[in-house]
Amino acid sequence: MTSILEVKNLSKSFRGRRDWPWSPKSVALEPTSFTLAAGETLAIMGETGSGKSTLAKLVAGVDNPTSGDIYLNGQKLYDANTKQRCQNIRMIFQDSEKSLNSQRTIGQQLEEPLIFNTRQTAQERQNTVKQTLRKVGLLAEHYEFYPHMLSTGQKQRVAIARAISLEPQIIVADEALVALDPSVRAQIINLMLDLQQDMGISYIFVTHSPQIVKHIADKILILYRGKMITFEKTEHLLNKPQQPYVEQLLHEHL
Amino acid sequence: MDMLDIRNLTIELDMPQGRVRILDRVNLQLKAGEIHSIVGESGSGKSLLAKAIIGVINPAWRVTADRLWWNGQDLLAMDAKARRFVTGRDMAMIFQDPAAYLDPNNTIEQQINEAIPSGDVTGTFLRRRIDRKTRVRQLLHRVGVRDHEKVLKSYPFELSEGIAQKVSIAIAIAHRPKLLIADEPTTAMEPSTRDQIQRLITKLAMSQDMSVLLITQDVASILPATQYLTLLYCGQLMETGKASALLQAPAHPYTQSMIDMSLQSQHELPRKSRLPTLPGAVPTLRHMPIGCRLGPRCPYAQKQCVKAPPAATREQQLFHCHYPLNEPTS
Ligand SMILES: Nc1ncnc2c1ncn2[C@@H]1O[C@H](COP(=O)(O)OP(=O)(O)OP(=O)(O)O)[C@@H](O)[C@H]1O
Ligand code: SF4
Ligand SMILES: [Mg+2]
Repeated sequence: MTSILEVKNLSKSFRGRRDWPWSPKSVALEPTSFTLAAGETLAIMGETGSGKSTLAKLVAGVDNPTSGDIYLNGQKLYDANTKQRCQNIRMIFQDSEKSLNSQRTIGQQLEEPLIFNTRQTAQERQNTVKQTLRKVGLLAEHYEFYPHMLSTGQKQRVAIARAISLEPQIIVADEALVALDPSVRAQIINLMLDLQQDMGISYIFVTHSPQIVKHIADKILILYRGKMITFEKTEHLLNKPQQPYVEQLLHEHL
Repeated sequence: MDMLDIRNLTIELDMPQGRVRILDRVNLQLKAGEIHSIVGESGSGKSLLAKAIIGVINPAWRVTADRLWWNGQDLLAMDAKARRFVTGRDMAMIFQDPAAYLDPNNTIEQQINEAIPSGDVTGTFLRRRIDRKTRVRQLLHRVGVRDHEKVLKSYPFELSEGIAQKVSIAIAIAHRPKLLIADEPTTAMEPSTRDQIQRLITKLAMSQDMSVLLITQDVASILPATQYLTLLYCGQLMETGKASALLQAPAHPYTQSMIDMSLQSQHELPRKSRLPTLPGAVPTLRHMPIGCRLGPRCPYAQKQCVKAPPAATREQQLFHCHYPLNEPTS
């Protein structure tokens, strides 16, 4: 299977709060490589602070790597071609609350990526947004709503609507499912599975829920203190003995 | 005796379209040391119920109840000052995002110190200072923070999520409340941290005779030790009763769905198969269905359901549904 995404030796280090040349750098992510095929789902797991969100942000282009390259459809991504990246790799954050602007209606906010990335007319944009709202289980009338009129779960759906409205190739979701209601979570997982089946979207999920990982992931990438210690097909990983750290991550707490 | 006794609590909100009930005749009883979990999806009114109990409610809302009693006292009959006093003395609350409720500009030591009631430390100025220092450390110890000197000097942003939640619990229990309300305290936590916090809350309930009202969106994250369970949907009470009874043989379709939808019951499904779920979305306040509000999403709904179902009971549970499941065969 040809891969749509190829990540080569991607790494990230941060300096301390004072950015002096001599202050020691802390490594958030050691050089990491992996590939992802169209229609595949990759789960990134690891304890808090192990570098999951850092890796997700680098792939989504929300943050720039210290070193390493990303290839999308065989083409190297530079920081400059952000437009291509914006359209094809979308990110959903954990905290939808903060990513929404309280001054603008949901409809206006969902239209933004369409304005920047498509040539749709105002009427077309409105239709796309309303369709997308329905796709994520909201109502067309939510177009007129302001964020404060929505519940937490509904805001999360808006975030997902914003990610899928451009029909991207890859969606990176950082803990986007944890805070959702069970029915919404199941609907969103089903929706994401449907979109994957119909449009061949690939997903990168950062999550600490072993149940979700086992259900949706084709491959699992495990980080430990900024280092990738496992990158394997889900069924291979589940069917063999594991080191205690991995065991604990995959253990279903009942 | 019931510490908390709520009968037919209703909260109404005046909207341009007319009056809407955001909490519809909810009942809740809680004894000392009891753990009661409230489960409901977004907009079910579970946080609102908590706010009504501690008395932080928008003054524009109409709050009515046949009974809203705490420790034998009628909370609704009290004036604001008396109510604040009772709430402040007997109740405490913790939230999903502890870091957001801690003061970013003060150290943890200062914040726990402030939470210690002045009546707890007496004597000379020096004596009081020493006693306070000891109390702060005792509290941290009680919530299972080992590295306390380091934590005490920290600011909230320097703490991991688990430690921050433990600190917020330490602050909450500093005045030995009789009721702890925990609003989704572990929702976004990783499983091992969640287990720790759950064990801690359970331990506190048992060792201090403190009642706990745990609010959560998912039956999978109720406290394992919970004795009673209440399911709310759109402000209506669906089912309530002994947790074990509800989980084994739910009478209400909503309880059944919530069990089916919890991730725990999904590990036998084939990978990437579609998960069971309730269709549709939670209605907006403007479009609350009449009768049983679950109606439009309920797989068992029939014509009858546009009339509000009366309360019905089984041995250990009470529910509102015209067509209950798992009827006992006798
Ligand atoms: N300030 C407000 N103005 C108008 N409506 C409100 C306000 N606060 C809450 N509501 C409404 O009251 C209902 C219950 O809200 P509540 O916050 O109790 O829900 P919840 O069950 O805690 O949901 P979540 O899981 O999203 O926290 C919702 O329909 C909500 O839209
Ligand atoms: S009363 Fe009707 S709609 Fe409501 S839960 Fe029962 S069957 Fe479903
Ligand atoms: Mg809430």
